[in-house]
Amino acid sequence: MTGRPAFPAAFLSALLAVQPAASQAPPQATLVIAVAGDPDSPVPTLWRNSQGNRELSDLLFLRLADLGPTLSTIDEASFVPRLARRWTRSDPVTLTFELDPRARWQDGVPVTARDAVFALDRARDPALSPQTGTLLRRIRSVSAEGDRRVVVRFTEPYPEQLYDATYHAPPLPAHLLEGIPPESLAASAFVGRPVGNGPYALARRSPGPVIELTANPGFFLGRPGIDRILLLGAKDPEARANLLLSGEVDAIDNIYSLPNWSRLERLPSYLYYPVPGPTLIYATFNQRDPADTARPHPIFTDPGVRRALVLALDREELVRGVYGPLARVPDGPLSSLLARSVDAPPVIRPDSVGARRLLAARGWSDHDGDGVLDKDGRPLAFRLLVPGIVAARVALASRMQEAWRRLGVRVDLDVVEGAVFIERRNAGRFDMDMYGVSQDPSPSGLRQSWSCSGFGGSNVMHYCDATVDSLLQLAAGSDRARAPQLYRAAMRRIAEDVPAVFLAALVFGTPVHRRFTNVVVRPESNWSLVWQWALRPGQAIDRDRQ
Amino acid sequence: MTSLWGATWHDRGGRLGLLLLGVLTGMALFAPGFLPDPRAMPDISHGVLLPPGPAHLLGTDEHSRDVLARLVFGGRVSLAVALGAVTLSVTLGALIGVVAGYAGGVIDAGLMRCVDAALAIPRLFLLLIIVAIIERIPLGVLILTIGATGWFGTSRLVRSEVLRLRGMDFVRAAEALGASRRRVIARHLLPGVAGPLAAATTLAVGDVILLEAGLSFLGLGVQPPTPSWGGMIFEAKPYVVTAPWMSLAPGVAIALTVVAVSLVGDALSRSAGATRS
Amino acid sequence: MSVWLVRRVAQALVTFLLAATLAFFLMRLTPGDPLARLTEDRPVSPETLRALRARYGVDRPLVAQFSAFLGGVIRGDLGQSISHNGREVTELIRSRLPATLLLGGTALLLNFLFGIAIGVFQATRAGTGPDRALTLISLAAYATPSFWLALILQWGLGTELHWLPVAFMQEPWLAGRPWSLAGALDVFRHLVLPALSLALVTFGATARYQRAAMLDALALDCIRTARTKGLPERAVRWRHAWRNALGPMLTLFGLWLPLLVAGSLYVEAVFAWPGLGTLAAEAIAYRDYPVIMGTTILVSGVVVLGNLAADLAHRWLDPRLRTP
Repeated sequence: MTGRPAFPAAFLSALLAVQPAASQAPPQATLVIAVAGDPDSPVPTLWRNSQGNRELSDLLFLRLADLGPTLSTIDEASFVPRLARRWTRSDPVTLTFELDPRARWQDGVPVTARDAVFALDRARDPALSPQTGTLLRRIRSVSAEGDRRVVVRFTEPYPEQLYDATYHAPPLPAHLLEGIPPESLAASAFVGRPVGNGPYALARRSPGPVIELTANPGFFLGRPGIDRILLLGAKDPEARANLLLSGEVDAIDNIYSLPNWSRLERLPSYLYYPVPGPTLIYATFNQRDPADTARPHPIFTDPGVRRALVLALDREELVRGVYGPLARVPDGPLSSLLARSVDAPPVIRPDSVGARRLLAARGWSDHDGDGVLDKDGRPLAFRLLVPGIVAARVALASRMQEAWRRLGVRVDLDVVEGAVFIERRNAGRFDMDMYGVSQDPSPSGLRQSWSCSGFGGSNVMHYCDATVDSLLQLAAGSDRARAPQLYRAAMRRIAEDVPAVFLAALVFGTPVHRRFTNVVVRPESNWSLVWQWALRPGQAIDRDRQ
Repeated sequence: MTSLWGATWHDRGGRLGLLLLGVLTGMALFAPGFLPDPRAMPDISHGVLLPPGPAHLLGTDEHSRDVLARLVFGGRVSLAVALGAVTLSVTLGALIGVVAGYAGGVIDAGLMRCVDAALAIPRLFLLLIIVAIIERIPLGVLILTIGATGWFGTSRLVRSEVLRLRGMDFVRAAEALGASRRRVIARHLLPGVAGPLAAATTLAVGDVILLEAGLSFLGLGVQPPTPSWGGMIFEAKPYVVTAPWMSLAPGVAIALTVVAVSLVGDALSRSAGATRS
Repeated sequence: MSVWLVRRVAQALVTFLLAATLAFFLMRLTPGDPLARLTEDRPVSPETLRALRARYGVDRPLVAQFSAFLGGVIRGDLGQSISHNGREVTELIRSRLPATLLLGGTALLLNFLFGIAIGVFQATRAGTGPDRALTLISLAAYATPSFWLALILQWGLGTELHWLPVAFMQEPWLAGRPWSLAGALDVFRHLVLPALSLALVTFGATARYQRAAMLDALALDCIRTARTKGLPERAVRWRHAWRNALGPMLTLFGLWLPLLVAGSLYVEAVFAWPGLGTLAAEAIAYRDYPVIMGTTILVSGVVVLGNLAADLAHRWLDPRLRTP
C-alpha cells in the first residue's frame, strides 16, 4: 500500500468542500477510465440498473441529496444537498424538498419539482421499475407544490425516509420524457443521448465501448475541474490491469484480484484509493434438507456444528491469500460499505482445538476410523455449491474444503455455471453455497436475507430466528435515534447464531493517476465526484491536450 | 493391424512417439506414490507461488500445492479424456465420413445436413443440458459426451477426401474387378484417408484437454481439488505473468502429448500409405 | 448442375431451419432463467417476477414463442434483449459485427496464409529437419490456449516493450473515425496483437491438413507424369499438386468460416475487443434468449453457407463429381 492517502480525512474534506478546489481558470484535463461494465442505458429508473449504468448516470443526473461521508442512510444531518437546497419535515410522514433555483437541464430548461415527481413516480411503479418499486413501497405519494417544492408522503414513520426519497430515483427531465410511453423509455432515443443536469454531458458514444463525457460549463455547483472523461469498457480484470501498466488509462474500476494487485501496487505514477465496497462474500448453511425443503437439514440445524465449522477456519489467512489487502473478514452480513453505518459485531477467532471439542460434545467423532467424523452412522459430509465463473470464490471454496478436511469433515465442491448456481440456490438445492452479494447502502435490505419474512425470496437457506426477526423489524420501523442500536443488536445475534460463514467484505483498491488532485472515489459509485477533482498545475500530459 | 503397429514401432518418429506416450502414461499411473498429496495445502501463508526449487521441482501454486504432484495426478484425468474422447470422436467421424462420401446420394445429403446442423449449434447448450440432467457426472460419461459431440468436423473432412479418392483409378479398378463395398472401404478408402485422420486425431487431443478444463468451470468435468492439466492452466490465468511456472508446466505437458500423438499418427499413416501402394 | 444447385440450396435452407429449431429448444432446456439471474442482486416479489416474464414473453408456451421468433426472423426482427434494458437485438449485433468481422477476417486470412505456405513447404520436404521442426512448432502453437498466448503477447509487446496498444480497437480520441488515414493506421495497430493471437493458435490445423493433403497429391501418378515431362518444379507443385490437394482445404475453410462471426471469447476479453464473442457469452451467462438466438442463427447461417460454398467449390474443381 505505497502512498496510501489518509483515507477518511481526504474523503471527508473533499466531500465537505462543495466548491471544487480549482475554480479559477482550470487547466485542460482529460481523465481516461477503464470500467468493468458496458453502460449502455445510463438513465435512472430503468429496471435493469447495472452497476456500470449507475456509475455513468451518476455523472449525468444529480440526486436531490447525496449520502454524506459516513454513508449513513439513517443520519439525515450527514446528507449533502444537491438539487435540493434544503428539506423540511412538517410531520413524521411528510418530507418537503426545496429545489435549488440555479439547477438547469443541459438543454437550458430549469429543473422543476415536476421532474422529481416524474422520476419518483416511475421508480415507484413496479411495472416500470420492478426492483425500486419493491424498495420504495413505503412512499405513499409524491407531489409538486409550484415549480420549486417537492412533497413526499410516506405510509409510516421510519428512519430511512430521506434515503428512500433521494437515492434510487434522481429527477428526470419530464419536459422531454412525458411524451414517450413510459414502458418504452428504455428503447427510446433519449437513452442513447440522455440530457441530464449533472456535471457532465454525454458527448459521444462509439462501439468500443468508448463513452466521451464533456464538462457541463454551466453546472450550478461549480465548473468541473476536469473537462473531459473517457470511459472505456474492459470487462476482463487482466485487460484492465494491463491498460494501467501500459499507461493507456488514468484509473480503472476495481482491481479485484491479488495477482493484479501485486503487479500494480508498485506503479509509481498511481495512487491507490481503498474504497469500502458493497460486495460481501459468504457461505450459507442451508437450514432445510436440499432433497426435500420441507424437512430440516440433517446437519446444519445444530448451531454448535455451524459454530465449530467456523472455528476451524482461519478466515484471515484464507481471505488474505485470495484477496490480499483488498478484503477484510466481516463477522456478520455486513459489506465494508454497510459496516460504515452499522457497527459490526466482534469476530469469531479461529480455534481448531475448540472446533474439535465442540463437535465431539455434539456427538461428532470418528467412530468408524475412516478419517471422517460421524454421528449415529451419518458421516459429517456435505456439498458446497460454487459458481465456477468467479475464480476468487472457487479459490476460497478450495481453501475451506482443505481446512475442513483436516478437521475430519468431507466437503465436495459442486462448481457450476452461473445461471445454474442461481437456479439451484433459489430452489434450495444445496448444503452450503458460496454467495456474493452487492449490498445497497441501506441496512433495511438485511431483513430480506436474514429474517423469516424473506422466505420465498432472498432467504433461500430458510434461516429463521425469532430474536433476529423482531430486532430487524423494529429497526426498520423505529426512529432515527434508535435504529442504529437495533441493527447492532440484530447483527450481534446473527453473529452468535452463525447462519453462514462470513468470509470477505471487499475493499476495492482503485488506482488513480497522480497528476490529479482532490481525488475522491465513492464506494457506492466510484466516479460520481470526479467533478470535484482537478489536474495538478503544470502536470498536464499529452492526452490532456489532445 | 499388428503389422501396422509393428511398422510404426520400426519407424523412428513412431517409436519416439510411442515411448513418449508410454512415459507420460506411466508417470500418471505410477509416480503419484512418490509425490505429495496434490490436494494438500501445506502452508497457505508462506508457501504460495514459490518458484521452482529443490523442495518443489516445479514450484507451488496459489494455495501452496505442489505443481509437480498436481501435474502428475492431473495426467490421469487429462490423458484418459484425451485418449478416450479422441478415439471415440475420430472413429465416429471416420465411419460417417466414409459412408457419406462413398454412398453418395440421399445418404450423403442426409448425413451431411445433420452434421451441418450440429456444427451450427453451440456445443455449450448440449453440454449444459447434460449438467441439468445429471448433476454429478462420472468421468466415463464425460468422455462419452466429449467424444460424441466432437466428430462433426472430422466427418466432413474425411468425406471430402473420400470424394476425391472415389474418382481415382485404383478405386475404380477395384470396383470394376468386382470388389465388395466393404473391401473397397477397408482396403482402399480407409488407408487413403489416413493422412487427414492422423491430422484430425492430433489436433483433437489438444482440443479436448482444454475443453475438459473449460467444462469443469461449468460444472461438467472433474471438480476441485482433483487436478487436470487444462484445469491447472485455467486456474493459472491470473498468474500467467507473475508465476509463469503454474501455466507453463501443464502447457508443456499438453504440447508433449500432442506431439507424441502426432508422431505416432504420422508413422501410422506412413505405414498405411506403404501398405496401400 | 442447376438441378443439383437448386436442390443443394434447398437443403441448406432446411438445414438452417433445423439448426435454428434445435438451438431454440435446446437453449430452453438448459437450466437457468433470465429474470431470476437479472433480479439476483435486488430480488423482486413473485408477482413482479411474473409480470416481467410476461413482458418478455417468456411465460408463453414454447411453441408460441418459437413461432413468434420465426415470424420475427422473416421480418428481420430478432426481438428485444432482456439483459440490455430492451434494446433491439439487431441493433446490438450490428454494433458489434464490424469489429468481429475485422478481427475474424484478418485472423482467418493469416491462418490460411501461414497454414498453406507452411503445409506445402513441409510436404515438399517431408521427413527432413525443417519439416519436423515446423511440425513441432505448429503443433505446440495449436495446443496453446488462446488466452495464454494473448496474455503473454499483451504483456511482452504491450506493457513491457510498449510497441503496440494492449486493448480496444482504437485510440479513444480516434474512436468512431476509422476512415481517415490516421484512424485506419490506428485500427491496424490495435488489430495486430489480437489477430496474431488468434491466427497463431489456429494455423496449426490448416498446416497439418495441407501437409497431409499435399503429400497424398504429390504421390499421385499424374504428378509423377508431370515431373517426368520436365515441367518446372514450381509449376508441378502449385498448378498440379496443390490443385489436387485443394479439396480438404476447401472443407476446412468451410469449417473455420464461423470464426469470422463467432469471434473468440478469450481473445476478445483479454484485448477488450468490442466483438460478438463477448456479447454472446454474456447472453448465455444471463440466459438472454433473444440475444442468444440472434447470435446463434448468425453463426448457423455462416456454417451452412460455408459448407454450401465448400460443396460448390468441390464440384467446380472436380468435374467427375458432376456425373455420379
